[in-house]
Amino acid sequence: MEAEIKEKIVSMEKPHMEAPPDWQPVIMGILCNWCSYAGSDLTGTSRIQYPPNIRIIRVPCSSRVDPWFIIKSLQTIADGVLISGCHPGDCHYISGNYYARRRFLVTKKLLNFVGFHENRVQFSWVSAAEGAKFAKVVTKVTEDIRKLGPLHLYKKENS
Amino acid sequence: MDYTKQIQDIAGRLFSEGKIDIFIGYRNTGFDENQVPVLIHQYKDVDQLLFTDKSVFNLANYLKYEHTRNKRVGLIVKGCDSRALNLMLTESQVKRENLYIIGIACEGVVNETGEKAQNCVECMMPDAVVYDELLGSATGKREYQVNADIRELDEKTLTDRVEYFEEIFENCIRCNACRHSCPLCYCAKCCIDQETATLFHGANTTSSAFHALMTWSLHLAGRCVDCRNCEKACPIHLPLHLLHKLNEKVIYENFQEHLAGMTEGDRGAFYKYSLSDPDDFIL
Repeated sequence: MEAEIKEKIVSMEKPHMEAPPDWQPVIMGILCNWCSYAGSDLTGTSRIQYPPNIRIIRVPCSSRVDPWFIIKSLQTIADGVLISGCHPGDCHYISGNYYARRRFLVTKKLLNFVGFHENRVQFSWVSAAEGAKFAKVVTKVTEDIRKLGPLHLYKKENS
Repeated sequence: MDYTKQIQDIAGRLFSEGKIDIFIGYRNTGFDENQVPVLIHQYKDVDQLLFTDKSVFNLANYLKYEHTRNKRVGLIVKGCDSRALNLMLTESQVKRENLYIIGIACEGVVNETGEKAQNCVECMMPDAVVYDELLGSATGKREYQVNADIRELDEKTLTDRVEYFEEIFENCIRCNACRHSCPLCYCAKCCIDQETATLFHGANTTSSAFHALMTWSLHLAGRCVDCRNCEKACPIHLPLHLLHKLNEKVIYENFQEHLAGMTEGDRGAFYKYSLSDPDDFIL
């Protein structure tokens, strides 16, 4: 029990902030058009349940995702960010996700360095046929962020 | 490290042969032996020039402004400055045929307290990598070492790091001196300016400083050469190198020991990829 509490304190960015009882996490989902967006579509058409906390934005490719998008969404309403693209080798534009992968690693490490928990920003590869995997990923990310609580770091005042 | 005489000779020769229009160097401010950059337009001002271990600024920064554009320029570069210059050449910001570059095999410059500066102690490439003329004897590439401040901060808990960085972002006054002093920040319109509208709430808050500094450091990730011009320009002495050094560390350790600006034609770590890049952080 004590270890659990200690782990929670270490994992939280600001331990003194308590979540209101009816709080629901807001997750910004940025999905690539060719794989993950089609995958999420398949999740819906296959009637697989996943948490409604994710707000999805469609982009042409995961390499379209500027790290700036992540910073801007963490600064405004989002409590967490999920970015998803094609598996390595499957990119519609041949090599877009390889470039994206490099950027994601540096962004994730830098955000963790300035104080965001590493589960706040997550990445996944989901193909158009993996509807069940998409539901699993969204469930996992939502649960991770629900555990961390609302994000208070560097928020804009009126958001 | 004192190359004053050689530099005066070279600059005088270049002016009398008519090879350059402007020479960018250092001069004394007149007190405390501190130095400032100076732009020299004619032969008779050449004796102002000097170069000692207090010549700290990165002169490649002056190539991005209007007064040196499309003119023939001579300038002095140390190891780190020459890497920045290499990137500017690669990114077509300056033309190589317009430049006469005096490279220095640098032995390290001093900081305000008179000790050897931290980035010089940890310097990987003290010799100029692009030059027409090299002063001093080259010592070659050195071993990479992780920045001492980064090592210290990595051992702290997340909550401590939050406190540390919140103070930094809170103290930032958004003067943008870091951006103006960086040789690689040359965009005419910058995306971080969208939060500078002072009539709105967005200007000069912790949140906007977070947005500006993070975006800035990610745009320089894989390109920053650790010349610390930004830190020298910062009016409240924020440790801006932390963000850049962390990016440099992650890139060096994960992407085939990439270092910015070592060869001409290398655009930075984010402009290439390898099939064996780390994938374990992706679900």
